[in-house]
Amino acid sequence: MQLLKKAIAEGITLNVIPADKFKTDRISVNFLTPLNSEKAALNALLVKVLGRGTKSWPDMKSLSRALDDIYGTGLSDHNYKRGETQIFGFSLGMLKSEYAVDETDIMSEALKILSEVLFEPALENGGLRTDYVETEKKNLIDDIKAKINNKSGWALERCVEEMCAGESYSVSVTGTIEQVEKIKPEELMEHYKSIFKNCRIEIFYVGNADVDRVNGLIKNLMVPLSDGVKVPALSADVKRKADNEPREITEDILAKQGKLVLGFRSGSVLEDPDYHMFKVFCELYGGSPTCKLFENVRERLSLCYYCWASNEAFKGIMLVSSGIENTEKDKAQAEILRQLGLVAEGDFTDKELENAKLSLCNGYKEIYDQKGSLEAWYLGRLLAGREDSPLENVDKIMKVTREEVMQKAAGVSLDTVYFMHGTEEADTEEGEDEDVSD
Amino acid sequence: MFLTNTVFKVKENPYLKEKYYYIHHKSGLDVYVFPKKMSVSYAIFGTRYGSIDNKFRLKGDAEYTEVPDGIAHFLEHKMFENEDGVDTFKRYAKYGASANAYTSFQLTAYLFSSTSNFYENLDILLDFVTHPYFTPETVAKEQGIIAQEIRMREDSPGNVLIFDLLKNMYARNSVRKEIAGTVESISKITADILYRCYNVFYNLNNMSLCVCGDIDPDKVLSVCDSVLSVSPDIEIERIRESDKPEVHRPRSEKKMKVARPMFDIGIKNAFIPEDGVDRMKASAVMSIVSDMLFGSSSDFFNELYEEGLLSNNLSLWSENNRDFSFFTLGGEADEPEKIFERFTSHMEKIKSEGLDEKQFSSFKRVQVANTVRGFESTSSIANGFLNSLFDGGDILDYADILGNVTVEDANSLIQRVFTERNYAMSVVRPVDD
Repeated sequence: MQLLKKAIAEGITLNVIPADKFKTDRISVNFLTPLNSEKAALNALLVKVLGRGTKSWPDMKSLSRALDDIYGTGLSDHNYKRGETQIFGFSLGMLKSEYAVDETDIMSEALKILSEVLFEPALENGGLRTDYVETEKKNLIDDIKAKINNKSGWALERCVEEMCAGESYSVSVTGTIEQVEKIKPEELMEHYKSIFKNCRIEIFYVGNADVDRVNGLIKNLMVPLSDGVKVPALSADVKRKADNEPREITEDILAKQGKLVLGFRSGSVLEDPDYHMFKVFCELYGGSPTCKLFENVRERLSLCYYCWASNEAFKGIMLVSSGIENTEKDKAQAEILRQLGLVAEGDFTDKELENAKLSLCNGYKEIYDQKGSLEAWYLGRLLAGREDSPLENVDKIMKVTREEVMQKAAGVSLDTVYFMHGTEEADTEEGEDEDVSD
Repeated sequence: MFLTNTVFKVKENPYLKEKYYYIHHKSGLDVYVFPKKMSVSYAIFGTRYGSIDNKFRLKGDAEYTEVPDGIAHFLEHKMFENEDGVDTFKRYAKYGASANAYTSFQLTAYLFSSTSNFYENLDILLDFVTHPYFTPETVAKEQGIIAQEIRMREDSPGNVLIFDLLKNMYARNSVRKEIAGTVESISKITADILYRCYNVFYNLNNMSLCVCGDIDPDKVLSVCDSVLSVSPDIEIERIRESDKPEVHRPRSEKKMKVARPMFDIGIKNAFIPEDGVDRMKASAVMSIVSDMLFGSSSDFFNELYEEGLLSNNLSLWSENNRDFSFFTLGGEADEPEKIFERFTSHMEKIKSEGLDEKQFSSFKRVQVANTVRGFESTSSIANGFLNSLFDGGDILDYADILGNVTVEDANSLIQRVFTERNYAMSVVRPVDD
């Protein structure tokens, strides 16, 4: 499988990932722009408003029904960040026409809908519909507030906010409540026009349709932008080392379990030619059920159900998170750091190293069975200015040495410790509940 | 080519372009092999033993055994430890597999996915699940870990809502109990009770193996031959508490640290067909009805959304199996009671008007397409197959069954099930309201 790139216009590229094993095709249109606090909320709101309705399908019901009619085609919006780049847009999941019971050309029909979502939104007086803008503002604000519902996600985000305060990376892709509140429909309309001038546009197709045909369909989709777009510079300000002594932040939240997040500067980013060495370290330390954290924090000390290390490849951040009894915070933190030190000193067996490599490689090979993962892989690569495939990485990973892992472990530095201290009495169980009366 | 004492069958679905081989292995185990050219090969080894199997005996036993809540899940965790001290994840790691397990209301399943060394990994799977090893020390260690798993779920509003709703809908059915039990109930678990449960439910006649991927059935069978011994023929008798047809209580409310009120509305369905194929048909009707009445293109959802009463899609679940059957619709709303009222009046309207036949056909087609999508990955095939199999169904038949469902089937289900006495709701409100 080889990634094929087709220039659609200046700054607009079609990336074709050939794959013949699926029953559905996937197309996504991604707008890439520097993550900044002025624009994040506008981007977030825009995809929601565009999804509300178009010229031919002016409300969500008619739009949904149109998608239903083409064999339940999925149209979803997305908005996330990679490093200090905000990526937003839409994706289509389409049944292959060979499974249709009639002659419907599902992909062409789906692209007609996507074209209207992108270029012909429902309008009033030449602007975006005020009612759609206002309800989506409220919904977006509700979503921002609802982040607290997921306690582990909340703790991770709070750690990053504190750790990267003052850096673009701390900007939330939804913007803040205040920023969303003050958006006016006219301002959103202006912003809508600007994304077609100032964003890099990366389109992905995963499937086995004829490449020329897909290229033709996408060229047609992008006709309104045939003059091309002005591509912004996209990069992240990477801090390779923590500046100061680690900061500790504790916040009380009504919950039974405490959530501990350790934020590290990882010292490694995907642009580094030796990034795969860091990946092996990360897997060995906190990436699988045979890793150091699982084996020690969970299995040996019985402190938690989960304790993982995740890493952000573009900004150079590693987060270790765990859900623990509130009284065990110091013990868990000490063990998480002790294990990191041990890996840096080379206190791991050759077998553990081999297991980490095999686990990582298995994960890379699994990417080929998931369209979304394939797309995420290559989109990430192009942000880092590379094109290597998962399989090419498998070969490199198997050659990583013990010394290289130790060196990567030593390059990790603790920046911020965030602890969400749960204040709810853990054992107010309402006994087995009452009154079974027939 | 196959050993004696085996039954061999091939089943194919030309529309889905999928097939599987069925082999009844001489050990007592049913084996299903789905050949599929993918990178990932997947195996799942399951037993018909879930959280609701808390009172049981073997035919011939004088007494029933009643066990603490959460034991099936606890047992699932403990199976990963072995007598030689090497845990199962390490054994798999040698061959690069990604392994896991889960416990649901009705089954416990052990699984792995791998991109190489499939048969070596399969050997490990069959071996560790057929060799229990529990000691008081390892049980004590697991109590700490699972206690944190339980705490995590107690802090999850979605989990609280669904179990509160199940408690509202069911007075006695064990589906009302948390799958992992409570910190208190798991403290009563001992190595002896674990062995007792293991010996009853982990009998190969009560289990199935499903594998999917670039796999040769002959090689699967030779792994079975080398690892598995014949299980004695047993009959398990499980006590199922009978529940009343209507809901146990209409409402419950809790306060948690959430941003705005969250709700789950449940519709209890007491009409569960005895026969597995009939049940699949009922499931098909229920999934179309759920999508058509409450999904993203439904009148109900779109009206509430446009009025600003709902801010996101409803999360929908229709569940139908031999032990329980219901619909749920959940979401966030400032006024859950208002959503509930709209739900009841919407249903009265639907009941008096009936469903539109043309629209019904369109929703049916969407469900068929969704079924096709389920055959894109080895994990969804193997998991879907096992879950359906244990309830007497076969996912290879599901698309055809869906295709044959009629609008009359749907209307009659709606008339029978959607009445006030079958409705319940759980609500979680913000603590600082």
